[in-house]
Amino acid sequence: MKQGLTICLSKWLCIFLLMLLAADARAQTKEYEIKAVFLLNFAQFTAWPTNAFADDKSPLVIGVLGDDPFGNVLELTVKNESWMGRKIVVKRFSRANEVKNCQVLFITQSEAGRLSRIISQFKDRQILTVSDIADAADKGVCIQIYTRNNKLRLKINLNAVKNENLTLSSKLLRVADVMSP
Amino acid sequence: MPIDLPIHGSRFLFKLRAILFGLLVAVALNTHADDNADPNVKTNLEVSAYKKMSLEQLMDLDVTSVSREPEAYGKAPAAIQVITGDEIHRSGASSIPEALRLADNLNVAQLSSSQWDISARGFNTSGFSDKLLVLMDGRSVYSPLLAGVIWNMQDYLLEDIDRIEVISGPGGTLWGANAVNGVINITTKSAKDTQGLYVEGGGGNWLEDFAAARYGGTLASNVYYRVYGKYFDRGAEVYADGSSAHDSWNRGQGGFRIDSEAILDNPLTLQGDFFIGNNDTVPGGEGNPPADGTSAGGNLLGRWTHTFAEDNQMQLQAYYDRSHLEAPFQGANLGGPAIPPGTLRDDLDTADVDFQHRFLLGERNNFVWGLGYRFTHDDVRGAPLVTFSPAVQNHSLFSGFIQDEIKVLENVYVTIGSKVEHNDYTGVEYEPSGRLQWNVTDSQMIWGAVSRSVRMPSRYDRDLFEPSPAYGMFLGTSNSTFKSETVIAYELGYRGRFGEKFSASISGFYNDYDYLRSLSSTPTTILPLYWGNNLEGETYGFEISADYQVMKWWRLHTGYDFLKEHIHVRSGQTDLDNALNETADPQQQIFLRSSMDLPWRIALDANARWIDRLRNNNGGAAGTVPGYFELDMRLGWRATKNLEFSIVGQNLLHDQHPEAGFPGSTQEQIVRSVFGMASLRW
Repeated sequence: MKQGLTICLSKWLCIFLLMLLAADARAQTKEYEIKAVFLLNFAQFTAWPTNAFADDKSPLVIGVLGDDPFGNVLELTVKNESWMGRKIVVKRFSRANEVKNCQVLFITQSEAGRLSRIISQFKDRQILTVSDIADAADKGVCIQIYTRNNKLRLKINLNAVKNENLTLSSKLLRVADVMSP
Repeated sequence: MPIDLPIHGSRFLFKLRAILFGLLVAVALNTHADDNADPNVKTNLEVSAYKKMSLEQLMDLDVTSVSREPEAYGKAPAAIQVITGDEIHRSGASSIPEALRLADNLNVAQLSSSQWDISARGFNTSGFSDKLLVLMDGRSVYSPLLAGVIWNMQDYLLEDIDRIEVISGPGGTLWGANAVNGVINITTKSAKDTQGLYVEGGGGNWLEDFAAARYGGTLASNVYYRVYGKYFDRGAEVYADGSSAHDSWNRGQGGFRIDSEAILDNPLTLQGDFFIGNNDTVPGGEGNPPADGTSAGGNLLGRWTHTFAEDNQMQLQAYYDRSHLEAPFQGANLGGPAIPPGTLRDDLDTADVDFQHRFLLGERNNFVWGLGYRFTHDDVRGAPLVTFSPAVQNHSLFSGFIQDEIKVLENVYVTIGSKVEHNDYTGVEYEPSGRLQWNVTDSQMIWGAVSRSVRMPSRYDRDLFEPSPAYGMFLGTSNSTFKSETVIAYELGYRGRFGEKFSASISGFYNDYDYLRSLSSTPTTILPLYWGNNLEGETYGFEISADYQVMKWWRLHTGYDFLKEHIHVRSGQTDLDNALNETADPQQQIFLRSSMDLPWRIALDANARWIDRLRNNNGGAAGTVPGYFELDMRLGWRATKNLEFSIVGQNLLHDQHPEAGFPGSTQEQIVRSVFGMASLRW
């Protein structure tokens, strides 16, 4: 009887360990999944002037400039989502001068060396620029996503936001470090 | 595969089988999950879970990554290395000196269980490393009594340290006197970043037991606080023959920090700490009776930052610091009346006010200027063998500085400035510097600098008597005309990032020193010996460090230092140490570090170091501490979101090895240390 109990306990312990291990293996590469959801959230918290869109039917475009770290995560994220009645679609650009009809633009790590030059092309284009490149906000990107103590943090350059003629909701400003103009 | 295991053999064997079976299934399941399941389904599930969360909740998720955080220091035109809180955590360091082993522009040598010598670019003489300035959250911890930092008085809950910036090279222009060869800035996290409960505990063979706890909460909207406490018992190190050096110590520390962001553009910080430590020691070395040493202290610091406009900011900081030190000394028989053993007691009170203002002037000039005042009240009750006179001393230090960073071209900056200080010993001191920074591209930078720094006299230089005047004869005395030691340093450096995976830096220096401390003798009578400023000379060398992100989960770091020292006696003068006492430094150091994030939330880190042999000196006699190769490792497992277990091994390659000290009965060797730890974050 006693031995039976030991076996039973051992089995349960094994199963418990298994669940723990299986769960933990999953928790690894979620950084860009969260960043994708961030991009969707940013769109919800931003007001664009009407002339930011070609016409009433044009979708809200989330662009990715540079080597794509998202895979299909971004598409999965925006699926079935909408912004003020507009569809949300994802577009990819390899060069800054290709960026057109785009409302949210994520500039990826591969552009780190060219960031200042890229940003100078986006003044007054009504594009919410977002990047996880170091010092992105200092270089004029509207929203920088960075990692601190293993958690994602936001830094907002209000001057850049203003230059793009955009307004951000206070809900977004409250959770971010804001560089005031 | 059998589900019910047949029972035969011993119980132990059965358990082993059960565990192996479990692991096999775990691996199988994981492989299965990764290879065969539709990744879209898995991602979809996670993404839709994230989509339901608020921004705050998303920002609370852990995105553990082994890669180095992007830091603004990449732009600083100096030989700077930054140790992040995460790197300290991963290294398994259990004290600030151990964490400083991660900065490969420092030489860190452990002398005993509670004593360390830490220096940059040389002059790491045992117990006399006096050319490195250390600040904790803007509070100087450099001792004006002994010159240098008493490391067993400096500690913090390591979990709550944000970063440690280590600058090798002079820092006098911004930080003032004693930043001759380097500056260490230890910055703790804002109370906003340490919300919630943290508890840790563990123990091992040398770090016998330790426990710490912190709780962080809010006092009002946008006003955050934390309180913490910690305690440890450390065992003794050993002498060369393996016998105990009877120098175990224990220490407790507590403190708080309040950060307010309640008023826009006016962040406020109020923080304070107190500690008490007891370290056993054997005055006179092996064979002598052990005695008790004590250190205790506390501090209170307030800081107000005000932003007038973007690029126009001022900061006002004030602190009060009190420390108490009891250091036992042996007795001696010098021919006259016998000198009994005794304890030197020191009480030091420091009050400091510091103001800084930074603003842009036009398009090209980034000005920063500041004013400071520090008052120290020091009260020493000497031991018969070592005493200070006058016993009580009040000292004022006035300082002001101005620095301008001028944008000469789009990518070229020139920074010029100077600190001017007035101290009660030597009057006015200047610490000017000029720096040039050329951003060759967005990710490559070349910099150069010429700077002057000084080491101000300490009470050790000015007020020391060995033995006490009561015994009617002097072995050694200080020198009431002892001047500041000076350096003029020439530096050239490069820092660059090559793609996403590789970054490297190199900095070279040539330092020209004057008026270094010498041990001089009185003509004809020889005794008493006294401190002179009779040494001068040059040092040169370079520091290289490089980071390589091999995979997303694996980072390698390497560092190499080279140092040559040519210190000599000024012509016509003497030094009884033959100019060798200041330069007990390794000529070369090599560091190699690997950080891995393995599956199942396991982190594996290894830090290897090779330290060259160092030659030291005791009066006329020369000694050698052999070069050594050592390895520290940490294995950490995040069992759940809140619970983490780790095993740490330090100095794994030898049972015992010396890192500093003159060979003989006082030299201690450092033992291998292994400890386990559990920590809970809630």
